[in-house]
Amino acid sequence: MSVLVFLEFNNNELKETSKQALTYANDINENVYAISELKISNDVVESLGKFGVSIFLINTVDFNENNILKCIIPTIEEFKINCIIFPKTNSFSYLSSILSTKLNFPLINNVNSVARFENKICLKSTIFSGKAEADIEIDSNSCILVLNKNIINSTSYKKSVIIKNLINKNDNSLSNNVVSLKKEKLEGDILLNDADIVVSAGRGLKGPENWKMIEKLAKILNAGTACSKPVSDAGWRPHHEHVGQTGLKISPNIYIAVGISGAIQHLAGVNSSKIIVVINNDPEAPFFKHADYGIIGDAFDVIPKFIDALK
Amino acid sequence: MNILICISCVPDTTSTISFVNDDKKFNSDGVQYIIGPYEDYALARAVELKEKDNSINISVLNVGLERNDPLLRKALAIGADDAYRIDVFPNDSLFVAHQISSFINENPFDIILMGKESIDFNSSQVHHITGSLLGIPSLSPVTQLDLNSNKNKILIKKEIDNGIETLEVVLPAVLGCQEPIAEWKIPNMRGIMNARTKPLKVIDQFECFSKINYKKYSLPEKKDNLLIIDENNINELVVALKLKNL
Repeated sequence: MSVLVFLEFNNNELKETSKQALTYANDINENVYAISELKISNDVVESLGKFGVSIFLINTVDFNENNILKCIIPTIEEFKINCIIFPKTNSFSYLSSILSTKLNFPLINNVNSVARFENKICLKSTIFSGKAEADIEIDSNSCILVLNKNIINSTSYKKSVIIKNLINKNDNSLSNNVVSLKKEKLEGDILLNDADIVVSAGRGLKGPENWKMIEKLAKILNAGTACSKPVSDAGWRPHHEHVGQTGLKISPNIYIAVGISGAIQHLAGVNSSKIIVVINNDPEAPFFKHADYGIIGDAFDVIPKFIDALK
Repeated sequence: MNILICISCVPDTTSTISFVNDDKKFNSDGVQYIIGPYEDYALARAVELKEKDNSINISVLNVGLERNDPLLRKALAIGADDAYRIDVFPNDSLFVAHQISSFINENPFDIILMGKESIDFNSSQVHHITGSLLGIPSLSPVTQLDLNSNKNKILIKKEIDNGIETLEVVLPAVLGCQEPIAEWKIPNMRGIMNARTKPLKVIDQFECFSKINYKKYSLPEKKDNLLIIDENNINELVVALKLKNL
């Protein structure tokens, strides 16, 4: 198996999910190729050895369809790569799908275990929004794997990075049928998918005006803020903060749920969090059955105390 | 203009998931099936567009078994004009996308709407794979969809990693939809009556060899280590979280 990992950076810093993907790749084959969409500086490239990169493919193109066909696929073929690994993010969904159809590599999303490579490729993937897991056999000697967050701990390595260039085949460009007109940044500094800690609140908060204390708690913890579906449906919080079965699925290290009863649809979006803290005034709230720590009490009393304790 | 909505038929979001036959088969006993919530949004948006322009024809397609027919009827009652079911078990994303793209090759559409993902296998790739197989643009997750006056382009909003992107897309295109693209619609009595006479065609599967085998299923381990902390002793929580080095 020759392995390629697609990396993501945030302000020139390799994201934790990408570090985990590199560790995952090193367990398959120590000779790990890596690439990223954003142009990164030379010293950052050199530093990637400690995260497990053996060969970095210097990339100067966006991952649009033209460039995937002209550069990425010929490069993958040239280096005889037969296993491609992605950390799970929104932006890689398109790329992984196109690569799967053009290279004819089977694609598995939501990978939740290490893979065994025998005659077949065997691994586990989460299904039913994390309510269950499937054992999968892939009848192929090549694959594309999209990894869930936190299925492996990132390890450090002592490698010096070899730099290679992408192959660029100058075919005729396809006509561009998709034109980006505008990009707006969402409010909130911390991307929910990347957040190590998430503070989430539900209808128990009684109204949007009461989110100030949630935001304050999140700020102290350097956490992202999320909410339950009824809250985003009522317009108290923006839709992109809705976590649950029909919203975002997240797996932070700590998920703090305030005034959320823990309906099965909400649990489906957060049950892969490492530690779950539930704050609710109803001792019968189903969420407590899925929590590591629980505080039975009124959010309006507990949150200020929590903030004081953190200070 | 022809719009196609590809629907998944999935267990209701409140379903308790369990397995039978040595954990080799999903236990559908007592499970209520629904149109995938994201496709329900997509269908609602298509019906809204048709309400403004009655020349639009809305088709729904499901890759699945006979038990899904009542849900295709429901889609007709909500406002689709005709329904198709490709009669085969939807094994995996590539397989389903192959069925859908083969169908579209024979029956061209201007806009192909899907949910951003099905809530059973959550691959969130069928739209992109279908687009790639057809050689047309695919975009997901789309939260807003409008037609231009010539009906040859669409204006959409799509979630990106730290924001929202507005794009203009030349048709045909495949979109993976999610809220708040439209409000869910509930079929009314007239819709239900009309749906009885609308066409529902069952089609044989297109030949496709799947390389992905689902061998066995399991449920995650249940947590049973809840530690209740008194709100007046919240320092205990702070210490516990710090101890875990989190």
